[in-house]
Amino acid sequence: MTETALWSIVKGIANTILVLAAAPFFEGLIRKVTARIQSRQGPPLWQPYLDILKLLGKEDIESGESPRVQRLGAYLSLAGVLTLAWFVPMGASAPLVQAGDAIVVIYLLTLCGVSTLLAGLAAGSTYSVVGVSREMMAMLTLEPLLAVAVIIGAVEAGSLRLDGILEASIYSLTAWPLAGLLMMVILLFSLQAFVGRVPFDIAEAETEVMEGPLMEYSGPKLGLFKYAQMSKLFVYCALIVGLFFPWGSDWPYPLALMALLAKIAVLVLLVTVVGATHARYRIDQAIRYYATLFVLSLVALTLALAGF
Amino acid sequence: MPARDVVNQIRQKFEASILRVDIPADNRLFLYVTPGVVRDLCTHVFLELDARYVISIGIDDRPYSGQFTVAHNFGFERENVLCSILVNLPADDPVIESISREIPGANWAEREFRDLLGIEPAGCPSMKRLILPDGWPEGIHPLRKDFSWDLSPMRFDENRVFPFDDPPEGCVVVPFGPFHPTLDEPAHFRLYVEGEIVRGCEYRGFMVHRGIEKLADSVLTYNEIPMMAERICGICGCVHSVAYAQSVEQAAAIQPPDRARFIRTIMLELERIHSHLLWVGLANHILGFDTLFMQSFRMREPIMWLCERITGNRKTYGLCLIGGVRWDITPEIASDISRVLNQLEKEWTAAAKAVQGDRNLQKRTKGVGVADPALVKNMGLVGPMARAAGVPLDCRRDFPYAAYDEVDFSVVTQSGCDVWSRVLVRVLEVFESIRIIRQCLEWMPDGPIQLKLDGELPPGRIGLSSVEAPRGESHHFVVTGEENRPRRWRVRAPTYQNLQGIPAMIKDQQLADMTISLGSIDPCFSCTDRLEIIDIRSGDVRVYSQQELVSMARGL
Repeated sequence: MTETALWSIVKGIANTILVLAAAPFFEGLIRKVTARIQSRQGPPLWQPYLDILKLLGKEDIESGESPRVQRLGAYLSLAGVLTLAWFVPMGASAPLVQAGDAIVVIYLLTLCGVSTLLAGLAAGSTYSVVGVSREMMAMLTLEPLLAVAVIIGAVEAGSLRLDGILEASIYSLTAWPLAGLLMMVILLFSLQAFVGRVPFDIAEAETEVMEGPLMEYSGPKLGLFKYAQMSKLFVYCALIVGLFFPWGSDWPYPLALMALLAKIAVLVLLVTVVGATHARYRIDQAIRYYATLFVLSLVALTLALAGF
Repeated sequence: MPARDVVNQIRQKFEASILRVDIPADNRLFLYVTPGVVRDLCTHVFLELDARYVISIGIDDRPYSGQFTVAHNFGFERENVLCSILVNLPADDPVIESISREIPGANWAEREFRDLLGIEPAGCPSMKRLILPDGWPEGIHPLRKDFSWDLSPMRFDENRVFPFDDPPEGCVVVPFGPFHPTLDEPAHFRLYVEGEIVRGCEYRGFMVHRGIEKLADSVLTYNEIPMMAERICGICGCVHSVAYAQSVEQAAAIQPPDRARFIRTIMLELERIHSHLLWVGLANHILGFDTLFMQSFRMREPIMWLCERITGNRKTYGLCLIGGVRWDITPEIASDISRVLNQLEKEWTAAAKAVQGDRNLQKRTKGVGVADPALVKNMGLVGPMARAAGVPLDCRRDFPYAAYDEVDFSVVTQSGCDVWSRVLVRVLEVFESIRIIRQCLEWMPDGPIQLKLDGELPPGRIGLSSVEAPRGESHHFVVTGEENRPRRWRVRAPTYQNLQGIPAMIKDQQLADMTISLGSIDPCFSCTDRLEIIDIRSGDVRVYSQQELVSMARGL
């Protein structure tokens, strides 16, 4: 018991370090590839590391209506993503599978969004509030998608235990997993929205609401939010990989890790290309898009319940 | 004689009220009428004769005739006549009946002459301040001749605030500007927002009014003004210098050499190309489509280099003087222009195809920021705003100037009335501009580029000129004067009219569409309120504050 617990902690810390170390690199990759698509030089790949360091080193200004909640929002956003990392397999099996089930994962996913809401509401400026209301609308229609994905896994596995769900990935099943495949497509279509990139960066739309919820933030707190956004991209990609493309995860650790990073890189490139070729949607257009995906995910769930 | 036809039409109803008619050219008409009929006459011209409202101008003519003058300018597109209806008002009680109930687009112009000259537009529906700052004392009018250009009035009240209207029931106020990432220049919109829907707005602008017109009639001289006129706008500067030069030339009956007319045309079209490329880029940036933003700026860059090669500058070309131009286009430069245009045409064809087929872009722009033909008529909207609503206004064709009557081009129109149509109009106009420049290069005659002018220009003459800027008609009005400078110079940039259409365009629309609706008029406010000085040798940067600049300028 103590040995497995110890292992969990070691693996969890490894995941945390991995997320913190690798997330800015993928942000750098996005910036570089976007720049090449736009015929620009683009910043060096390590620029996001410097950005984070710079922001963390700045004076921490207390502004806005309730500074304490704002601070909490900043901490919570990064902490939420890092905790989520403990439930996602990254090179090795997920560290905390014994401690929590699928429901915890869904909670943690929601927590990321909630911390943004908290940040915006606590700042209390007009544009923040507009951004928050958009974020809230998006969350209400978007978050159920991931929940459905996890639940389909649970239905397939016959258990809410995370290891069971991850084991019962679409590839480990013998029959043709219609529900799983459909859900995979749906999640790939919604990944862009989950990580808040163009065309779904509606809540923060710089040219409309001036970064929305984050408008009042600067220095270390902004650094934490930015770090959380980068980490979110990484962890969400890892989760999708874990649910749908897990092959190679049983290889020896360094190899499995390389496989994971490569797969995340592919997903990140997908996000980059979509982002670079689209204009931002309006919130009502985005909601309609999410709603379509949600209906489809319900179809997938029905299929899963019917045993397909 | 189209101008005479217009006069005859007006005469049928207002014979008794017309004091004097001046027809200096086929396409210009000056009508002096009695103050009592001005509202009826303007309404008649606007509604019955279907003329387009251009602008109203207040003039302090007291040192010369002892009176104030107000000019209401109209454009007769069908007859190709620019017309000015002038009224003289007594010096002690300058009151004129407002025309902005019938012609809503005249509202700003009337408030402007009320602010700057103290001419009262009686019965004007909105009498709030437009141009003067909130703290400016009442009863002091800076454009009057007895107000010195460098006077800073006493009793300036910094604490006075603008009397904004109350928001409608159930709406919150969302302040938009003066500083906002999509507003490159300061202007303030108070948006009344219900949920995500904009229910109305109030505008307060003119925050960095520079008093250029005052400088022109008290400090600068005729040939210094084109350089100042260029600095009115950072993008369509050449338009203003050409429009000014043309209005003085028209007033003084000067005919610039043919080669100069062609060079002006080429520069105006190069300016239109780089302005449209800039706009397509910025509009896409507003919509979050940064790839097209970057690509169109990349395509634009060779045009800027070309301008630098011709004039020595990317912008502010210093091109125009009265009676000609300063830079010639040598055969080498001409072949460079052809080469750059060929390259641009190839790239822009690809970009245009990508834009036209982009459904994502259409989703954000179709049915957004609608300005229908009725709004175009009432507010006097011009340029791509009108053409995207199917109203084929284009000064290059309607009131030909420079060499536009010698080249062949078509006026691009669309019928959607929305932002998407404006995108298409601008995208396609780039090709027309390329065509025009090619024809100019081919037909450009040899000869001098600058007329030799001897002696003083005759004072007291009036000149009008409309130049089709990338954003729409840029209209200049000049009264020639003594001491080698005009008595009055009035500039009406296209944004002056187009901005007045914004409240109607954004009403009952999503807040998210506000920025692109405003962006779709390609707004151009003035933007010189600070100055940064870099010492090249030491690399030191120093930014001067407004106060420092004021004290430097006034030597206090």
